[in-house]
Amino acid sequence: MKLPPVDYEAPTTVSEAVALLAEHQDEASVLAGGQSLIPLLALRLARPAVLIDINGIDDLSGVSAANGWVAIGAMTREYVAEDSGTVAGAVPLLAAALPLIGHEAIRSRGTIGGSLAHADPAAELPAVARALEAEFVVRSQAGERVIQAADWFEGYLTTSRHPDELLVTVRFPAAAPGTGVSFQEVARRHGDYAIAGLAASLTLSGGAISDARLAFAGLSDVPVRAASAEDLLAGEGPSAELFDEAARRATEDIDPPADLHGSSDYRKKVAAALVRRGLRAAAGNAAERQD
Amino acid sequence: MAGIVAERYTGASINRSEDPRILTGSGQYVDDIKLPGMLHAAFVRSPMAHARVLSVDVSAARTLPGVVAAFTGADLEAMTVPGPDQLTVLTGGGGPTPEYTLLATDKVRFAGDPLAVVIAESRYLAEDGCELVVVEYDDLPPVTNASFALDPGSPPLFGNLGDNIVRPHSRHEFGDVAATFAHADRVTDFRIDVHRHQNVPMEGRGCVASYDADLGVMTFYTATQSVHFSKICVAMRLGMEQDKVRVLAGDIGGSFGLKIGASREELAAAAAARAIGRPVKWVEDRGENLTASGQAREESFDVRAAVSNDGDLLGLDVKVVIDTGSYPGMGTMIPGIMEEMLPGPYKLAALGFESTAVTTNKAPYVAYRGPWASETFVRERALDLIAKDLGLDPLEIRLRNAAPRTDPPGFMITGRPLIGVTTRESLERVAQVVDFPAFRRRQAEARARGRYLGIGLATFIEAAPGPRSPDAAGDSAGGESMRLRLEEDGIVVLFTGQMPHGQSHQTTLAQVAADEFGVPFEQVRVVVGDTAVVPFGFTGGSRSATLTGGVALHGARQLKAKVLDFASHLMEANAQDLQITDGSVWVRGDPASAITVREIARRAAAGEFAAGADANLEVEAAFDGGEAGWSGGSHCAIVDVDIETGLVTVERYVVAEDCGALINPAVVEGQIRGGVAQGIGAVLLERSAYDEDGNFQSATLMDYLMPTACDIPRIEIEHLQTVPLDTDVNFRGVGEGGMIVAPPTVVSAIEDALSPFGVRIHEQHLPPARILELVAAADSGQ
Amino acid sequence: MDITLRINGATWTGSPAARTTLADFLREDLSLTGTHLGCEHGVCGACTVIVDGRPVRSCLMLAVQAAGREVTTIEGLAPDGELGTLQQAMWDSHSFQCGFCTPGFVMQATALLSAHPDADEQQIREALAGNICRCTGYQSIIDGVLLAAERARHR
Repeated sequence: MKLPPVDYEAPTTVSEAVALLAEHQDEASVLAGGQSLIPLLALRLARPAVLIDINGIDDLSGVSAANGWVAIGAMTREYVAEDSGTVAGAVPLLAAALPLIGHEAIRSRGTIGGSLAHADPAAELPAVARALEAEFVVRSQAGERVIQAADWFEGYLTTSRHPDELLVTVRFPAAAPGTGVSFQEVARRHGDYAIAGLAASLTLSGGAISDARLAFAGLSDVPVRAASAEDLLAGEGPSAELFDEAARRATEDIDPPADLHGSSDYRKKVAAALVRRGLRAAAGNAAERQD
Repeated sequence: MAGIVAERYTGASINRSEDPRILTGSGQYVDDIKLPGMLHAAFVRSPMAHARVLSVDVSAARTLPGVVAAFTGADLEAMTVPGPDQLTVLTGGGGPTPEYTLLATDKVRFAGDPLAVVIAESRYLAEDGCELVVVEYDDLPPVTNASFALDPGSPPLFGNLGDNIVRPHSRHEFGDVAATFAHADRVTDFRIDVHRHQNVPMEGRGCVASYDADLGVMTFYTATQSVHFSKICVAMRLGMEQDKVRVLAGDIGGSFGLKIGASREELAAAAAARAIGRPVKWVEDRGENLTASGQAREESFDVRAAVSNDGDLLGLDVKVVIDTGSYPGMGTMIPGIMEEMLPGPYKLAALGFESTAVTTNKAPYVAYRGPWASETFVRERALDLIAKDLGLDPLEIRLRNAAPRTDPPGFMITGRPLIGVTTRESLERVAQVVDFPAFRRRQAEARARGRYLGIGLATFIEAAPGPRSPDAAGDSAGGESMRLRLEEDGIVVLFTGQMPHGQSHQTTLAQVAADEFGVPFEQVRVVVGDTAVVPFGFTGGSRSATLTGGVALHGARQLKAKVLDFASHLMEANAQDLQITDGSVWVRGDPASAITVREIARRAAAGEFAAGADANLEVEAAFDGGEAGWSGGSHCAIVDVDIETGLVTVERYVVAEDCGALINPAVVEGQIRGGVAQGIGAVLLERSAYDEDGNFQSATLMDYLMPTACDIPRIEIEHLQTVPLDTDVNFRGVGEGGMIVAPPTVVSAIEDALSPFGVRIHEQHLPPARILELVAAADSGQ
Repeated sequence: MDITLRINGATWTGSPAARTTLADFLREDLSLTGTHLGCEHGVCGACTVIVDGRPVRSCLMLAVQAAGREVTTIEGLAPDGELGTLQQAMWDSHSFQCGFCTPGFVMQATALLSAHPDADEQQIREALAGNICRCTGYQSIIDGVLLAAERARHR
């Protein structure tokens, strides 16, 4: 399982990187943490002509908070985000999801931007980004543009990033007071990709749900929001009956994929359980955070 | 009464002598070997399950810089001697012999079947070369399940066989089957399916082949369970005299039955090395290991049980079809052992056993830790299902059916004597440790809160190596030899054909020999892994504790006698008055007379001997197993089944085991725990999956799921006080037991957890989706 | 491309091909064969080394990416031949059998105990869940780590 022949570039600035992308377009793969890309190369499933290794670009890492947003540089390692007090305080849903990503050694190298650019629908970060409506800042030789999460994820391992664009920053909105979160996942083993996962966020205001976000991992070729369940929850007081109904709504129209780890029907059943559990946990956390 | 000879070392968990190198990364595994000029091999493998090969063109590969050679299957035919796999010839179970070439030539028979090999300066370049090989295939309908393989209309995999039956249907009866079934209160029948899963040692197969053209000698480094078996296979295939092949093995990263004989790829690498004149290394990667090294356990059973209303299992009538995959391996040998073992430690009065083995377009069936284990699964499942029908408790039904230990011993209906079997004791010990009534109370409380806990029990025996058959002259697994020598520097060296791959023989055999001979543990060295110096042998079948432990004990005793005889000349004393203790020889009662063993050895080597003294301080010992015996035990698992997700947690696991006297308790416990982990893995996680076209779907560790530290609980182990059978050698094997009995234990617990839903389980693999299906099906009355 | 990195305290310069993984570079170019290849797709953990203080799967890093980094392999833990606390505790606990997974476990556990010297059993299990062992069922490995932690506390 050795990597195939490939050319290699190691730009040290974003402009060098985007110049290389402009030159090579979809013949190039961007190498960030490598925890998803290198296995694909080793299995010879990915055959780029050139690897553009962005690990040497210093200004792509970092976590900073400003104006109600937390900006995370694309090359920020997952373990750095996991250890970040800013993330823990301002983006609790992200903080809840990070420890579930693979294993510690994966998080040593894996990056926030890399995971989101790879866009595996069974991974944790895409569901978090979709739930929170994160913003994706990409840069090319033409300049910068911002892509909303709803538009970022296009298909299985496919994003709306153009081949000449580099993801440089991901911005997450800071959680409002009274927000409780939960990341639930059913995986075959600790650390595995989710067979089904749920990123849940509830904001309580005066005892009622003022904002509900539910995004599934592993149920489609992209992370999906459970919009009709979210609509049901808005304005209501948390209760077991409400959550049961939300679970029903969240799963009645989905058509999850079948694979070695679960049939479509199985994923549907599990998704419903995750909604019940996720809402219960998020509501509990929200009650704690009310100030 | 003879018991364990627990002097200083035997019976103690001595630290392993293997560990200093293991813990510092200085082990020598086959991929660590670097020889000057060494090249690397990679194989071109079929993506199709079943196809005619129309052409193989390696010309582009040959021109890639860094590629030194590329050989097709046809090229290899010209470089090797055709004929059946030697290991199958040695161990084969009867039935027609399929004819096929070393690498595929006219046909490919499973996805992953090797058809060409590229040899290059690095593995990277060899794989690049493989991508340039162009193969034209003509699709054939794949035979991907046993029922199609049984159909005479299925396209035969092998040209010389008219069909896909590689071990024809046979039926044997023991006891009066017809009468037993006719007079039984009830007869139940059901099907049991065991799924395909596989060994997955952390190190795959591999070799480095180096041919010296001047001497005509092939030096073959390999990962194996027997250097001598490898030698036989290499010599035959390369048309070489046996004494021109030397096989060497260092540290081996696990095997569990996989690495026996020489694989087709290893033989191709050896032939290539000879042709090219440079050493060739082939080490399989994980994809190859999962796809092509071989798989096991795909067996389906139709079972009829004759039962009394009180729960006596009177008779079993079992029909098995074994899916042996493509190329011949162990699959045809399995039915015989299954048949012999089916009665287990129970008072079964009648057994009917029918078997057929078929070939299909999947990876070959290989031995996997306790290859016959499905017989225990079938028997224990049968008892649980019968217990449920009759409203009996699983412990109760087993105690009722367990054969009593009598003197003279009773016999299994299939022939072997049930000597020294402690089934009743191990079941009772498990019950003491686990407190079933307390669990039942906790289970009821949990159910009231919507949580599903379950408890499962199973018991087994394994021939480790098993008692003498009444009609056999010696041990059925062949005796064991050992050469023991007192070296000039005072080290007692044991040359054994054992090939440890995790069993810690370099420690355990030294413990036995040190105690018997009278030297410190550090003064014994165990030599393995070189056909030039070790006697014939192999590691497998849970036989080494008895056979090799025994030959080490008797051999050390013989060597001691020889050394004392020599010493008696030096010390001018009678040999009977001499003893060896703590590394010195002395006259009993006279400590001042002590001379170190080292000094004796030095003098022998220096030629200081009196007339008549035999200074060649070496013996060749042999041991037939003595009174041998069964190992066995009872296992109990407590599980928590989440019926919303189907995820199962094994909360507690208890073992009461009897493997006779223990040489090294920590080693024994490690073997048991590792086997149990594999059993838990088989039930909850592991499956070698093919789709209906024969495409292999578990080719990475993201798809073939191995149990991790979060999946295996602490495994509590009780050691039973054993029934000694032999004056000296009461060690019995334990390597396979955990894997044999853990699957029915865990399945039994899951079934118990789901009993409020009326679930009955007739299969071994229970991933989360399947658990939910079983609950839903039972709910809807299916 | 020429790279310089620190391996086990010494400075090494080499010229690995860009596609060579750090694992292969260690094993082939530097003859540090203690780091093992169990899967080459980042699942089994046998190839785990420590890079700049963090556990990393060396099969998922290119050798060229280690330029300027501090890498510790299993060979670097007991350079003078004397076993460290963790290795000794694992020896005393009969942690391993065939030894193939061992270097990865030792490196992962080393990283764990540096960051969490008081890790309890559950934390240890989770931290080691990314390393696969086929021989032991894990209990003996966990016991080795627990023993090492206890001994380190009492030193």
